[in-house]
Amino acid sequence: MLELIGLRRSFDDVVALDDVSFAVPEGAIVGFVGPNGAGKTTAMRIALGVLEPDAGEVRWHGEPVDARVRRRFGYMPEERGLYPKMRVREQLVYLARLHGLPAGYAARRADEIVATMGVEERAGDRVESLSLGNQQRVQLAAALVHEPDALVLDEPFSGLDPVGVDVLAGVLRRQAQNHGVPVVFSSHQLDLVERLCDAVVLIDRGRIVASGTIDELRASRARRLLRVEVVGAADGWYDALPGVTLEAEANGGVALLLDDDVDEQRVLDLARASGDVLHFTRVRPSLAELFREVVSA
Amino acid sequence: MNDIRPSDRGVWRVVAMRDFWVRLRDKGFVISTCVTLAVFSVFILVRAYGGVGTPAYDLGIVVDRAGGPATAAAYAPAQASAVTAQIEAAASSALADVRVVEVHPPDAGRDRLREGSLDGVLAADGILEGDADVPTQLRQIVQAALVRDRIVAALEAAGATEAEVDAALNVPAVTLRTLQPRDPNREENGGIAFIGVLLLYGQLFGYGVWVATGVIEEKSSRVVEILLSAIRPRQLMAGKILGIGLLGIAQMIFIAAFAMSLAAITGALKLPATALGAAALVLGWFVLGFAFYSSLFAAAGSLVSRMEELQNVIVPLNLVILVSFFISIGAVQDPGSTLAVVASLLPFSAALAMPVRIVLGSATLPQIVLSVSLLIGSTMLLIPLAGRLYAGAVLRTGSRVKLRDAWRSAT
Repeated sequence: MLELIGLRRSFDDVVALDDVSFAVPEGAIVGFVGPNGAGKTTAMRIALGVLEPDAGEVRWHGEPVDARVRRRFGYMPEERGLYPKMRVREQLVYLARLHGLPAGYAARRADEIVATMGVEERAGDRVESLSLGNQQRVQLAAALVHEPDALVLDEPFSGLDPVGVDVLAGVLRRQAQNHGVPVVFSSHQLDLVERLCDAVVLIDRGRIVASGTIDELRASRARRLLRVEVVGAADGWYDALPGVTLEAEANGGVALLLDDDVDEQRVLDLARASGDVLHFTRVRPSLAELFREVVSA
Repeated sequence: MNDIRPSDRGVWRVVAMRDFWVRLRDKGFVISTCVTLAVFSVFILVRAYGGVGTPAYDLGIVVDRAGGPATAAAYAPAQASAVTAQIEAAASSALADVRVVEVHPPDAGRDRLREGSLDGVLAADGILEGDADVPTQLRQIVQAALVRDRIVAALEAAGATEAEVDAALNVPAVTLRTLQPRDPNREENGGIAFIGVLLLYGQLFGYGVWVATGVIEEKSSRVVEILLSAIRPRQLMAGKILGIGLLGIAQMIFIAAFAMSLAAITGALKLPATALGAAALVLGWFVLGFAFYSSLFAAAGSLVSRMEELQNVIVPLNLVILVSFFISIGAVQDPGSTLAVVASLLPFSAALAMPVRIVLGSATLPQIVLSVSLLIGSTMLLIPLAGRLYAGAVLRTGSRVKLRDAWRSAT
C-alpha cells in the first residue's frame, strides 16, 4: 500500500498542498481528480521524491520510503521528457538499468514493453522522429519498463487516441489485478476515471475534498435527486411535502431535490395519489457532476 | 511483483557509460577528432619534410658548355668546380645545405628558376640571378664563397702550400657559452609545451562545456525528472562528469598515440622520450583540471533550462580558463616569471600553467607538490558545493535559477 500522509508544501507564499492524505491499496486503481492547479502534480512529485514536502511523509508498506524503494516505482511526470535523440529501445534499456535492472534483463523488458505499448516497429527510431501519440506510448513504456512495484502517472491518457486509451487502460488493469500493483493516476477525463478506477480522490485548492469509491462519493456528497413523471397531476403536486423542491422541469416530468430527512417512498405515495406515475427514478449523478458540485462548494 | 531491490551505489556507472557512448557516436565529436588529427598531421609532416630542419637550397652555376675559353658570363669548367667547392664549404659553416648544378647558356637555368627548382643562378661576372628574389642566406653563402675563392687565389699566388691554405680558411666552429644554464632542447621543449597547453586548453574548456550542455539537455527535454525519480541528483552529476571525462581521456590517448606514431614513422621527433613524458603530463593535468572545473560547469548548466542561455552562465568559467591560458602561453617564453610561478600554484590556473613550467624544467619539486596539493584540496572542497547547487537547481525549470535559491532549496 502506498500512503501519502499529511503532506504540506508551499511555493513562496502560495500553499500548494494543505494536509493531503490518501492511500492507494495493493491492486487498486485510484483516480486523482481536481481542477487545474489544485495540487495533483505537486503531490505526485512528492510521492516520487523529486520534490520535498514541507511536512508529512510518503509510506510504502507502512514504512517511510527511501531512495531504494522509490527506485522501484514507475512514474510518468506531467512534463513529458525523454532524450529526443536517443533511440526508443536504447532509451528504455537505459531507464530500466537506472531503476536497478541488470543489463540482460533490462534488454528483455524493453523488448516486451515496446510490444505491449504497440511501438515495436519504432523501437530503433529516435524519439524525436515519432509522432506525439507514439512518444506518449514510449513515455508510458518508460514508466513500466522496470516492472514497478507502484505506478504514479500524471495525466497518462492525455494525448492518446482511442486505441491508445484502450491499450493503456488494459495495461493498468493488468498491472493492478495480476501483479497487485497500486496504481494512481490523475486525469480530467472523468468518464474514463469512472470506468477504470476502484476509488477516486478529489483535490481542490490543495485540500482533499472527497475520497472513496464512486458509490461512496455519490452517497456522501451528491444531492438527492428524483426524476418523476405523473400524468394528470396538478402543477406543484409535490408542494404538499415539506423538504421537497423543484429542481427542473423537462419532457413533461420534474426533477425534485430532496432534503436529507425526506423519505423517497413518501414522495412516491404522494405522486400516486396525485395521478398515474409513469416514471420514478433516482438520478445517479456522474462523476463529472459530483466533481462540479464538490469543487464549486 | 518481483523483488529486485539492488543497492543503487554503482548506478553512476550506468549514467557514465551512457554519456560516454552517446557522445562517442556523436557526429560533432567524430568530426572534431578528425580535425584535431589533421592539424597534428600537418604539423608533424611540415616538421619532417618542410624546411624546419637544415635549410637547403638549389643553386645553378653558369658553365661554358664547349670547354673552350670562358665567355663573358660563364665559368670555365675548372673554375666552376673550384667555386663549387667553396660554395659547399661556405654552406657547411653556415649550417645550411646547398646543392650546386651546372647550367649552360643561352638559357642559363632561367626556365628552372621560373619553375622553382632552382633558388638562384650564379654567373661568372658575379651576378646572382633569382626569379622574384634570392633567399638571404643563399646570398650570404654565395658572397662568402666568392670571398673564399679570392683568398685561395691570393694565397696560392703568394706561394702558400695547400696545407697552409686549408689552415687559414678552415677555422673551427665557435664554442657557445651562455650566462644562464642552457637547455640544448629548449626549442623543441618549447614547442612541446606550446602544443601541450593548446591541447589542454581545448580539452578542459571543450569537455567542461560538454558537461554543461549535457545538464541543460536533460533539463530542457525534461527527462531529468524521470531520471531523478530513479536516482539521486549527485549520482546523475557524478556519472555525467565521469563519463564525459573518460571520453576526454580516451580522445587524448588516441590523439597522442596517433601523433607519436606518425612522428616516429616520419622521423619528425628528435626526442621521443620527452614527447612521451609530455603526453603523460598533459593527460595527468587534464584529469586534475577537469576534476576541478567540471563540477562547476555542471552547476552552471543546472541553473538554466534552455540551450540559448548556456553562454550566459559559463561566461565566468570561460574567462578564468581563457586568462589562465594566456598566462600559460606567456609562460612558454618565460617560465620563471613571477606571473607564471603564481599561476602555476593557484588552483584555477595550475592545470594550464604548471605543465608548461614542468616541461621547460622551470618548476621545482616543492612547487609541483604544492600546486597539486592545492588543486586536489580545492577540488575536494568544490565538488560538494557544486553538487549542492546542482541538486538545488536541476529540477527547477523555467527562468534562470538564482544561486542563492539553488543553494537554499538543496537538501
